[in-house]
Amino acid sequence: MSESTEKGISRRDLLKLAGVAGVAVQAGGLVAAGIRAGRSSESYTGWESFNPGTQFFDRRPFEFEGPAHRPVSEVRRPSHLTDYVFGRVAAFQQAYRAHPAWKPGEPLEALGMSAQLAQFYRDFPERLEWDFKTFTETVPNNSRDKEKYGNYYVLAEAYEAGFSAHAGFLRGPSAPPEESDFPGPDPFGRKTRPPLPFRTPALAADFVKEMAHRYGATLAAVTKTNPDWLYSEGWRGCPPDYDFSRMPAHWEYAVVIGVPMEWDVVLSNPQFGTSNDAYDRVSTAAIRLEGMLKFLGYPARSHTPLTNYDLIVPPHAVEAGLGEIGRTGFCITPEAGGNCRMAVVTTNLPMAVDKPIDYGVARFCNKCKLCAESCPSGSISMADSPDGMVIRGYEHWYINNGSCYNFWRETMGPMGCRLCVAACPYSRKDNWIHDLAREIDPRDPTGAVSSGLLSIQKHAFEYPEAAEYHRPPGGRFASFRPEPPYLRAEKYLNIPINKPGK
Amino acid sequence: MFFNGGFFWFLMGILSVVVVAAFRAFARDRGWRIAWWKGLFGIAAYFVFAMSFYAWGTLIGEGEGGAGFRILVLGIVISLALGAGFWKLITAKPAD
Repeated sequence: MSESTEKGISRRDLLKLAGVAGVAVQAGGLVAAGIRAGRSSESYTGWESFNPGTQFFDRRPFEFEGPAHRPVSEVRRPSHLTDYVFGRVAAFQQAYRAHPAWKPGEPLEALGMSAQLAQFYRDFPERLEWDFKTFTETVPNNSRDKEKYGNYYVLAEAYEAGFSAHAGFLRGPSAPPEESDFPGPDPFGRKTRPPLPFRTPALAADFVKEMAHRYGATLAAVTKTNPDWLYSEGWRGCPPDYDFSRMPAHWEYAVVIGVPMEWDVVLSNPQFGTSNDAYDRVSTAAIRLEGMLKFLGYPARSHTPLTNYDLIVPPHAVEAGLGEIGRTGFCITPEAGGNCRMAVVTTNLPMAVDKPIDYGVARFCNKCKLCAESCPSGSISMADSPDGMVIRGYEHWYINNGSCYNFWRETMGPMGCRLCVAACPYSRKDNWIHDLAREIDPRDPTGAVSSGLLSIQKHAFEYPEAAEYHRPPGGRFASFRPEPPYLRAEKYLNIPINKPGK
Repeated sequence: MFFNGGFFWFLMGILSVVVVAAFRAFARDRGWRIAWWKGLFGIAAYFVFAMSFYAWGTLIGEGEGGAGFRILVLGIVISLALGAGFWKLITAKPAD
């Protein structure tokens, strides 16, 4: 044994005691460091960030030669009048108001709705049922629920109101693409100029993406605009007799950008969440990008949530390599999962295009089904794969946007659901534990890592049952996770509050 | 902030050295000779043990303390299994 200390403990024994104490201190220190990492605002990927570091996932190992989408049957372009659920339900409701004696089962022609909409409902009869229920039953019920419980959610609505107020400042195009997209006199009197040539398309793409980040985009990528994914009518600023059959030549390139919703708020869906925080930011970033491109002499048109779209975004985002389409039908990105609201800027600035990526989402979605199990309206398919689900000529997951929207109108707070975004295991923040999963899972060809992670997700984490998200008495207006403290009306407001379930 | 700074991780490194040195002293007192690959086994067991606490803390920070605790328990079970294997390796008597 080594020599003793004055108290009779040898140095060797002291070292051993220090080792035991070291284990305890290390365990305690790691718990404290973990709490710090879990709470850190730096882990809120892209939230209020204006630098390119938010696109941190190295996509290069997962790129493949596109296209990621290939039609499997005759392609039908999307329609504002039918596929776009808000426009469709509004048109149905308007027709019903003019013919209030109409009942489901009677000929649709009796409603006087457009032949296109009537045909859509004949093709998708389940959506007719849901859309009718939305405005005859769900919305009136929701008005009563809000009278009773609305105060409990009023701060969530206030949070949303701030963002939607800004929407009034964002203007979409008011003339056809051939006119409004081209640089004109700007508010500061700067003259238009011929397009400034870039040294190479790759540098042009780099510059545009850098600017997109500086304008507030969390993710940015470039692809070619696909005419199949332009709306078949109703482009902004265009008269009804405009020729919607051909894509304007100057829409050749699509810069796709994405921004997450606030991370704590998104987890408190469906009752406390809003899309408008990210809608506001992504729309603002796209409009800034449009202005920058016009300043350089190039035509540009932004397609954004707050100024509307002339094209559908998710397939463009996939072709641009921002992510993959998941079971939920939206683009699941490596950095933000499904928590990503997107916009597009179309232009003819020649740019190097990005490649689509395969980082395992399709395989994971086939076995996960967490979103479908959580969905209160059963709008997400529970099938084992999307094989055979053909929508407008392309094979991908089928979502019943009629039942989805119906549940939107049942929720409290700022309205909407987004539960599938919150439940998706890819929609996780940027800290070491999720980054580990992000980096290891896509590199595992066996699928064992994703199966293990999924098992942990399903067995270690607790979720409300799908029915609990519904209104009482069947449900309790549950949220996926509790609302953030700053949205608790009870904490701040001196008003009577009736909490559901009490 | 202390807990995400370089000094904190420096301290964690020092503590790791102390833990390894203490275990070496413990092993020598018993006359165990630990081959490098057996040592790696022990380090793996301790790494899983330590990271389970880090994961628990991280999930507490994210508001998922319940899940974090379950993952901690799972991690401790795995590290105990690895630790038991390590113990068996270093205490096994060489074959005659």
